[in-house]
Amino acid sequence: MAQTEISTTQQEEVIRLQPSRGWTALNLPEVWRYRELVYFLIWRDIKVRYKQTALGAAWAIIQPFFTMVVFTIFFGKLAGVPSDGVPYPIFSYTGLLPWGLFAKALSDAGRSMVANRSMITKVYFPRLVIPIASVLSGLVDFAIGSVVLIGMIIYYNHIPIPSAQITPTAAIITLPFFILLALITALGVGLWLSALNVKYRDINYVIPFLTQFWLFITPIAYPSSIVPEQWRWLYALNPMTGVVEGFRWALLGVETAPGLMLAVSSTVSILTLISGMFYFRRMERTFADIV
Amino acid sequence: MSKQNLKVIKLDKVGVRYRIPSERISSFKEYSIRWIQRKVTHRDFWALQDVNLSVNRGETLGLIGHNGAGKSTMLKLIARVFRPTAGRVVVAGKVAPLLEFGAGFHPELTGRENIYLNGALMGFSRQEMEEKFKGIVDFAELWDFIDVPLRTYSSGMGARLGFAVATDVEPDILLIDEVLSVGDESFQRKSSARMQEFRDQGATTMLVSHNMDIVIKMCDRTAWLDHGQIKAVGKTSEVVQAYLQSQIE
Repeated sequence: MAQTEISTTQQEEVIRLQPSRGWTALNLPEVWRYRELVYFLIWRDIKVRYKQTALGAAWAIIQPFFTMVVFTIFFGKLAGVPSDGVPYPIFSYTGLLPWGLFAKALSDAGRSMVANRSMITKVYFPRLVIPIASVLSGLVDFAIGSVVLIGMIIYYNHIPIPSAQITPTAAIITLPFFILLALITALGVGLWLSALNVKYRDINYVIPFLTQFWLFITPIAYPSSIVPEQWRWLYALNPMTGVVEGFRWALLGVETAPGLMLAVSSTVSILTLISGMFYFRRMERTFADIV
Repeated sequence: MSKQNLKVIKLDKVGVRYRIPSERISSFKEYSIRWIQRKVTHRDFWALQDVNLSVNRGETLGLIGHNGAGKSTMLKLIARVFRPTAGRVVVAGKVAPLLEFGAGFHPELTGRENIYLNGALMGFSRQEMEEKFKGIVDFAELWDFIDVPLRTYSSGMGARLGFAVATDVEPDILLIDEVLSVGDESFQRKSSARMQEFRDQGATTMLVSHNMDIVIKMCDRTAWLDHGQIKAVGKTSEVVQAYLQSQIE
């Protein structure tokens, strides 16, 4: 019947809009068709991010670097926190680097829908594009921060104290997997927060609290080996545990691969992403009215 | 079936409801307390109610009515910004919405960058936009300002850029909300000419305006919306006449 009601040519896309209630399909192919927009939004974020700042992109180094210095002095030296036999500065920096990626992606994605409201209320495009772009744009800061890490690895590789030397092993090829895991986790949580933020502006206050809280339950200032063996699986319910331990294993060659923890962390991370996507899609149709 | 009767937009018993909380509840705590107390009350507001309308291929349909009658809601519905609460909307073809200027514009980006960003928003690839780029800037007459941030543009310049981008993507359906009233005399002439060109090429246009001269000049048919419902639809001169008559009374 619809064919006789409406005239189309072969190339034209026909869109049928009907009321939708409850859960809807994710429609990921449509998001893929709009990948060019993801690219542009990332690029826009990066271009605008350090505008009118005196130090510009140096901020991407300053933040993790000085946090590392403070951690090294207070946790490493004064409190004597163990660091799995690795020099404390590089131990904490390998945790802070993926943490920075995660924390930034989380807070940017959480605020992204409200921040882009002028686009949402005026133009149609798959809304998932917005939080995806905010998460991915954090990769640039991550890449800049990595320069310091590479410098530290080279330094610890050449110092004359054999016990403190760091030599990356073949495990380094698994690093992209851990970066991906951090991004998936951030996107999953970011989707929940961004959809909730449209309705409840409380989320603006939740985000700083959540990231601070989350920092302490992630093995950044301390190794996860201080958590009693029988509680490690519970500890690994925090997906960032798997990410940080994975980073240390891949880059510093500490102990063995974090097998069980990684399995638990990855599962939680993927479940967060899937549930986040469905919740986001469910809330999506109300965004234009209330954002 | 004659060409005139081919429909490209069809609204079938369409309703759009906004839920306006009786009091603004903007925090989760407040919401929870009220939910427990069963005091989450909404006032329903039907921006559109039981609307049946179809638009034929190649025609220009005017939408007139008071502020808040549902004109912009109807365009946003067809542009997929809103979803219908009831009924069904069918749209065939590529839609270019010109709802408000600066929809996808970012003030810190240059004119050039904004053109590409807008292209991406409408689902065009970079290569496609590269081909269109020269024509867009030519039409907007903004070569001198194309590489400065948009925040330095005057509102007229922004309007020119917005119109040029939206109309250069060869849409099948163009949605225009009150935008022909921005820009200076010469730009208005230019944009009218382009819309005429569009119509000649067989594109369909929906135009919201409070300026009856523009409606009479541009539109083949006109729909008069009143409190979310269609009061009259038909030949432009008759509908406009009836609308103006009702305002005098």
